[in-house]
Amino acid sequence: MKEIFTIVFRLTVSCLLAGLVMGAGLMLTDKAKQRNEHAHEQQVMLSLLGYSKANPPPAELELHEIYRYVVEGADQLSVAYLLPVPEGFTFVNIGLDGNFLNQVPVALSEENVVKPADRGSAILAALGSGKSIRFVDQTIIVTRGASRMAYLLPGEFPGFKTFIKVILAVAPDFTVLGLEIMEHEEDPGLGGEIVKDYFKGQFEGKSFATLRTLDVTKRPIPDEYRRALESEKSDLGENEIGEIRRLYQDKDIYALTGATISSKAVTNGVKAIVKKFAYRISVLDRVLAEEEIDVSF
Amino acid sequence: MATDKSSFQLVINGILNENPIFRLVLSMCPAVGISTTVMNGLMLGIAVLFVQVFSSVTIAIFKNVIHPRIRIPTYTLTIATWVTVIDMVLAAYLPEAYAKMGIFVKLIVAFAIITMRLEMFASKESVDASFWDGIGMGLGFMAGMVALGFVRELLGLGTLLGYDVLGFQPLLFFVLPFAGFFVVGLMMGFFNYIEVVYKRSKARQA
Repeated sequence: MKEIFTIVFRLTVSCLLAGLVMGAGLMLTDKAKQRNEHAHEQQVMLSLLGYSKANPPPAELELHEIYRYVVEGADQLSVAYLLPVPEGFTFVNIGLDGNFLNQVPVALSEENVVKPADRGSAILAALGSGKSIRFVDQTIIVTRGASRMAYLLPGEFPGFKTFIKVILAVAPDFTVLGLEIMEHEEDPGLGGEIVKDYFKGQFEGKSFATLRTLDVTKRPIPDEYRRALESEKSDLGENEIGEIRRLYQDKDIYALTGATISSKAVTNGVKAIVKKFAYRISVLDRVLAEEEIDVSF
Repeated sequence: MATDKSSFQLVINGILNENPIFRLVLSMCPAVGISTTVMNGLMLGIAVLFVQVFSSVTIAIFKNVIHPRIRIPTYTLTIATWVTVIDMVLAAYLPEAYAKMGIFVKLIVAFAIITMRLEMFASKESVDASFWDGIGMGLGFMAGMVALGFVRELLGLGTLLGYDVLGFQPLLFFVLPFAGFFVVGLMMGFFNYIEVVYKRSKARQA
């Protein structure tokens, strides 16, 4: 009987030690890891817009991040956006019925706005007491000169096992420009194939109207389409690739073999992100126009 | 029971006499499943090398305070800790290597070869000897994986390290999982045959 206590004691101590080592590891590496992820995200965003090292983005290209929050007051719930304006940042509060409530300027620097904790406390300070806020998501509006070029929508949705994190690039008319899978834990070789060009490339060029009714088909992907999507490997000319892609532009998504659930998850996830965003940005734009708020994008 | 082998002999022992794949026949799941290309074999080999060395040294240090009835859970805990730490360090400081090696590193927690080495060697020997044994076993595993990857990539895809050497794909069969068993078996036989020939020539000289 005495032995069992020794065993329990020693196992507990070993677990605590292991926890300490892992915790120390996390503390030392977490910042660097987040920095890497941020840098990687930036790179992915630029590549979704069609830029690379060989084809650098023009100087007048600007990325404006807008942050969406849910604000809880004494008796009401509202949606609010932290928006960049020429003289800093402003927090625009919109009711659930889509009507403008109020706006407050927020004192934040360009460096601190990307830090969630600093951003949250600055907004709370600007709002005054009695309110609480919850961060929901962020959107990046890409402008070139005075006109909007694209929206970048980071998002996540449930996959076969856990959440799939993506970044979606859409044009101002909500045509999908590109899809990148940032994080997933689908089965390797089956659902894991969602990261391959011949799957995620199928979303490119889908118009908003097509996207609304987009479905997944279990028919095998036609050979010529697959070759056009895997443009790095194929021997097709650029014009041919464009032509074949246009041919399938309004067709449904061809499911991955043996991974219908993952294919459907991504398709529905992309649809939901774009549809919800299209509604939100229309509300936001209307409010900004009505209230004549001068924003940077 | 302390080993009477020198550190050099311990390393060589891991690579040749007790090669994890061809002589001990341990950790066959990754050997068969992942050794489809030279690069995959090398990546997994490097990851195993680090985890094996760290875990062996840790167990050798704490061998006197580990209760004999809970030694296996303790080994698993040690391996899991080091795997997690290495995973975090790679993600933070070598993001490019992590993008390629990430999934392999997480697999290592369940590798038989590491637990077996902790049980057979590190829990009885000195820290110093365990360190060199860990290096030898890691290198032996890496060598085995690279050898398997070499054969399978060349015969299955016609490439080496991703570069096209043959210009065609001889037998796709070799990169499929079950072909791993054939390649492991044939190479094991080949190495055994070399050993027999070597011993025979030595006996003749004597």
